[in-house]
Amino acid sequence: MTFHQFAYRNVIRNARIYAAFFLASLFSVFVFFIYSMLMFHPSIEDGFLGNVSIVGMIVAEITLVLFSWFFIFYSMKAFLEARSKEFAILLHLGMEKKQLSKLIFLETFLIGTVSIVVGILFGFAFSRFFFMIVREILMLEELPFYFSWEPFLLTITVYLSAFILISILSVYFTPERNLLDYFKGYSKLYSQEFYSFQKAIIGVIFILTGYVLAILTSRVTLYSFGILIVILITMGTYLFFSHTTLFLLDRVRSRKSIYWKRNRMLSVAEQSLIMKSNSKMFFVVTIVSTLAFLCVGLLAALSSYTSQYDKMNPLGLIYKGHTDNPYENLHINALIRELEEQGLSYHMARFEVKKQTSSFTQYEVEVFRESDINNLLFSYGYPLVRLDSGESMFIPYSEESINELSQRTVETVLIENNVEVIIDKVYPKLIFPSSIISLNSIIISDEDFMLLKNPYFGYPEVEPGYHLFTFDIPQWFETTDVGLGIYYRVSKEYLKEEYNLPFYFENAGLSYSFILSTYSLFTLVGILVAAVFLLAAGSFIYFRLHTSLEFEKKKFDVLKRMGLTDLELKKIVNAHLMPQFFLPWGVALLHSLFAFVALQNLLKHIANISIVKELILAFGFLVIIQIIYFYLIRWRYITHVRD
Amino acid sequence: MPILRIQDVTKVYEGKVTHRALNQLSLEVMQGEFLAVMGPSGSGKTTLLNLISTIDKPTSGEIILNDVKPSKLNKQELALFRRRELGFVFQDFNLLPMLTVEENIILPLTLDGKPVSLMEERVAKLAKILDLTSFLHKKPSEISGGQAQRTAIARALIHEPTVILADEPTGNLDSNNSREVLELLSSINKERNATIVMVTHDPIAASFCDRVLFIKDGEFFNEIYRDERRQTFFQRILNVLSLLGGGNVGDLSSIRLP
Repeated sequence: MTFHQFAYRNVIRNARIYAAFFLASLFSVFVFFIYSMLMFHPSIEDGFLGNVSIVGMIVAEITLVLFSWFFIFYSMKAFLEARSKEFAILLHLGMEKKQLSKLIFLETFLIGTVSIVVGILFGFAFSRFFFMIVREILMLEELPFYFSWEPFLLTITVYLSAFILISILSVYFTPERNLLDYFKGYSKLYSQEFYSFQKAIIGVIFILTGYVLAILTSRVTLYSFGILIVILITMGTYLFFSHTTLFLLDRVRSRKSIYWKRNRMLSVAEQSLIMKSNSKMFFVVTIVSTLAFLCVGLLAALSSYTSQYDKMNPLGLIYKGHTDNPYENLHINALIRELEEQGLSYHMARFEVKKQTSSFTQYEVEVFRESDINNLLFSYGYPLVRLDSGESMFIPYSEESINELSQRTVETVLIENNVEVIIDKVYPKLIFPSSIISLNSIIISDEDFMLLKNPYFGYPEVEPGYHLFTFDIPQWFETTDVGLGIYYRVSKEYLKEEYNLPFYFENAGLSYSFILSTYSLFTLVGILVAAVFLLAAGSFIYFRLHTSLEFEKKKFDVLKRMGLTDLELKKIVNAHLMPQFFLPWGVALLHSLFAFVALQNLLKHIANISIVKELILAFGFLVIIQIIYFYLIRWRYITHVRD
Repeated sequence: MPILRIQDVTKVYEGKVTHRALNQLSLEVMQGEFLAVMGPSGSGKTTLLNLISTIDKPTSGEIILNDVKPSKLNKQELALFRRRELGFVFQDFNLLPMLTVEENIILPLTLDGKPVSLMEERVAKLAKILDLTSFLHKKPSEISGGQAQRTAIARALIHEPTVILADEPTGNLDSNNSREVLELLSSINKERNATIVMVTHDPIAASFCDRVLFIKDGEFFNEIYRDERRQTFFQRILNVLSLLGGGNVGDLSSIRLP
């Protein structure tokens, strides 16, 4: 038997031990390859992902690479630790350290190569299917399958170098140990747990401050707070796992009446050991899971946004201008011309909106004319409005506002012209998107509208009203090219501190294509990255358990001799496994929950949508997966320690 | 009055090669007796101890411990039986590394849900007898082998079991620590009237006992009782051992044949 044969047989005959490592490597190669296939797709240059640059994908790819490197490195270490007894025998028989390194290198190389080859094969086989899904999601005409050497080369280079480097590094960086230590295998220092009270408190304070900041975040403070929150939460989480948990457990241990109680003593003592020796791993798992949760949550939020988009933006094009807007005729004619050139049918409605002051609130109110509104409602096919003199109706600004306003009755006088109106109805459907009209918009009858001769009090400093042109276009998502010139001027102006243009333009089709492409990018990046992250987070725990299994078996053997009932064994196993599974996840869930509170606040400002339902669904799904995973591992674990 | 009765116990391990570890072995252990079981490797000592520990069941025969037949108990009852009636001392101590010395000692009581005051009282008493007081709050990794074994003995005693089972308790100790541990066991046996069954290879360890039982190939071989002097007892143990070691015991010595 040559040395190479020995390494080969080590791997083949210990297939079960190597399986977890192999599968995890395989999966990350698989995901990476599929992703590269998409990245090198020839039609990506034609911009099939809309206007979102390729940068996003590259960032995701790099994240994947860094993460899988870290993942392989960690698995390697856990793996070597678990096999230290085997290495001890080899060293005892007179194997040189150099030969041992070579053995590990050869084994890793073998597993690595096989997992790369199998991963790429699977990836290649599945990429056609994957392209099909992408095509459906992005609503593309076609996304043909292609063959090119780039994705293969990239995947092989990245992972082969990862396996080679990491196998060398992990051997190189294992501290010099004598043979006896190797024989003892899982030999951690069981000395007193060290923690610092100050750091334990600081950890909690950091996390709480981060949460409070997340709640307080608004659009203005997004960047400054955002960075601060990330730093606070990351440091806080690290301190939490390395100090706070130990501190809390030590509190429990100092109270005998709580601590010396049935199987609690064992579990608590065990937890402090686990926390002490795995705080870094828990920290990484928490951060990784938080990222995965954020990905999933963002996806859910975006899908709710896109599905609600149609409802919230019933109009294809909206042009809003001051009453003295000099570009009005020019722009409207241009828009009409472009629509006709494209052969899109449309219905244009023109609104003259006047601002008045309401005696009821002393604030300004935007007044629409009944016949203008009916013009648009007619094209929508919505029921028309009939108002008599003195009657008025609210225009809802969001879905929720319909209910709210329907219960309100307001008697008010439009002060400038002394017109009395009673507002006691609300139009039961959303007419304009919420970004266009103010929260105080009403419809009055044509007769009353004629009476509004005197302009708004604030005139001429404040605009006395505006002209609104709406284009109801049935095929609204085909209007992406209409009014591009106006659109660019508006979006450029938006970046300035003050908005000084006399007009404003909104193209629902164009905005939708932006949102859709962002959404699709997030979907692609998110699903794959989240899948890798979640799998990895699960594998970390698996490897850890695998490493300490021998030791645990012995422990349970002693306990069983001392008379541990089956129920107590299960209880101890539960108490042993649960924190490892659910503490990092719980903390990650809490982190992402607060991230989404911040996001919801932001979205409230930008668009009035709620992401609560989607988030609950998505997180519920994740929790269920984790519970299933927990029971799976628990089942395997109990069968192992029972006999 | 015998507290432990083993009647015609046979244990057969099924498997690819069927192996008869114990064959129709019978013995009785009296209340307050310190018994050593000796025999060469593979003679069935550990099997016997496992059967008494109730973690293994005999193929045939009966074990009666304190008027209870463990074979009649279900798993749950067995666990509670072990927890209350038996104490264990192992060769490699088997202290749990994450618990302190004190916590290791009280483990059997906590599992049984006893009040804290009782645990504290008993630990204090035992620690004094076993000279453990000064390192009660240390971890097992921070104490010496002798101290670890004394801790293990304290753990075996804390719940005042009917029988203490010791599996090579001196196997991992140096001669000084061995002597200390053995003297301790023998004084516990005398002062507390504790019943101890000890499996050992070591004739010196066996010489501390009241009676030594020899088994070979799973069958009863011989037994000898202690006399006035430990020296002569030790010598007699060695004599039996040399007989045990000889391949042709039970055969006629060739010199006596014509």
